[in-house]
Amino acid sequence: MTWYLGDLIPYMPLLLQGLWISIYISVLSFVFGSVLGLFAYLAKASRWRVLRGISGAYIEVVRNVPLLVVLYLIYFGLTQFGVNLDPLWSTLIALTINNGAYVAEILRAGFEAVPKGLREAAHALGMNSAQTFRYAILVPGIRNVFPAMTNQFILLFLFSSVASVIALPELTNQLLRVNSETLRTFEVFTVGALLYYVVSSVLAIGSRLGEKRLFRW
Amino acid sequence: MITVKDLHKSYGKLEVLKGISCEIDASQVVCVIGPSGSGKSTFLRCLNLLESITSGTVVINGHDLGDRKLNTSAVRQDVGMVFQQFNLFPHMKVLENIMIAPVKVAKKPKAVTREKALELLDKVGLASKADVYPSALSGGQQQRVAIARALAMDPTVMLFDEPTSALDPETVGDVLQVMKRLAEEGMTMVVVSHEMGFAREVADRVIFMDGGVIVEDGNPAEIFDNPKEARTQAFLSRVS
Ligand SMILES: Nc1ncnc2c1ncn2[C@@H]1O[C@H](COP(=O)(O)OP(=O)(O)O)[C@@H](O)[C@H]1O
Ligand SMILES: [Mg+2]
Repeated sequence: MTWYLGDLIPYMPLLLQGLWISIYISVLSFVFGSVLGLFAYLAKASRWRVLRGISGAYIEVVRNVPLLVVLYLIYFGLTQFGVNLDPLWSTLIALTINNGAYVAEILRAGFEAVPKGLREAAHALGMNSAQTFRYAILVPGIRNVFPAMTNQFILLFLFSSVASVIALPELTNQLLRVNSETLRTFEVFTVGALLYYVVSSVLAIGSRLGEKRLFRW
Repeated sequence: MITVKDLHKSYGKLEVLKGISCEIDASQVVCVIGPSGSGKSTFLRCLNLLESITSGTVVINGHDLGDRKLNTSAVRQDVGMVFQQFNLFPHMKVLENIMIAPVKVAKKPKAVTREKALELLDKVGLASKADVYPSALSGGQQQRVAIARALAMDPTVMLFDEPTSALDPETVGDVLQVMKRLAEEGMTMVVVSHEMGFAREVADRVIFMDGGVIVEDGNPAEIFDNPKEARTQAFLSRVS
């Protein structure tokens, strides 16, 4: 068999639809995961040992268990307890849990890297804790986490392909389907790789441009 | 203006200040010198509550820092501080750096604050730099902005912790010049610095600290030309 893309043309709408679902689940779980990550970070930085412990354990577990296994646990495992989540929700939950742990670490690293002197200068000017955070820490912290956060989003987008194994019709799942219908395996996955690549690179470039525009200092 | 009695400060088991007492009058300029690690920064930072006081009393401009009901923010608004590393807010332009505390902390109207900030910038010789970010300035310029930022709160006392130690030699002079002018205007100043020239010319008093205590306290000529204590003599011979 030679290289031939013609067979794929009728399936392009399907693939783009799959791509759309991939983007959609990535955005949602990035948003949910960032909120979760923010709380996990705050818990880990808090004064209460119990909160620190819970948050630390969560981060450790996520970083040491494959995402795919977490997804199986949620989608197949929970049915044993009568919890039947559909593929979409299972994926969103698994990706959110996964992303939250990494976001917590990104926030910790980024905010710890804000020079201590800024906090002191703010205090010395009479700012209370909230004002100090708002005026002295927040923006430098956001700048510190920005590149890692956009990078994390790209990783999440690529990882979202695991959802194909539980038949969520995102891009990889659609690739498998088109492959079985056309048997143009090499072409199908090349096109798929290209779609992932294009979206990721556009995001990466956008991130760098955004960084330049947002942080002119 | 500042009364310190038997001030002790410990970090856990490490006692850093071992009973500091001194009296600083309004409009006095006091230079604090001493070897690294002798507790100079800690002493200064106790004066605006950046460090908690372990024991002893400190009264600044009527605020008793040991008072449980003390309004920390009010004390800090009264006591300006300039750091070795400038610590300007990097994401704010020079003018915003100067205006942020008067507007957000002292709740002064923006227009008035702006006028005042521009005047202060002019005073430190940086009128043309209102609209740039700190990263575009030299160290000496950043430090002068930091001085203007502290002055914008109308403090009654200014603390300087080695304000010129992180600067390129060629920018030190401008900063010292600004500080000298401030002293001439009658600001009460406590300056940790090893700029002996500045201390001689501007200071009313020099305090020599070593090992968490004040070893010698006198006018600059006494301390520099006629130190009584062996430790002061040894230190001065090392730095000059
Ligand atoms: N936050 C801190 N925790 C523990 N030790 C500290 C802390 N800050 C300062 N020290 C110690 O206190 C001593 C005095 O420090 P410092 O006041 O900075 O001295 P100086 O400014 O005269 O060089 C040093 O031994 C230093 O290691
Ligand atoms: Mg020091």
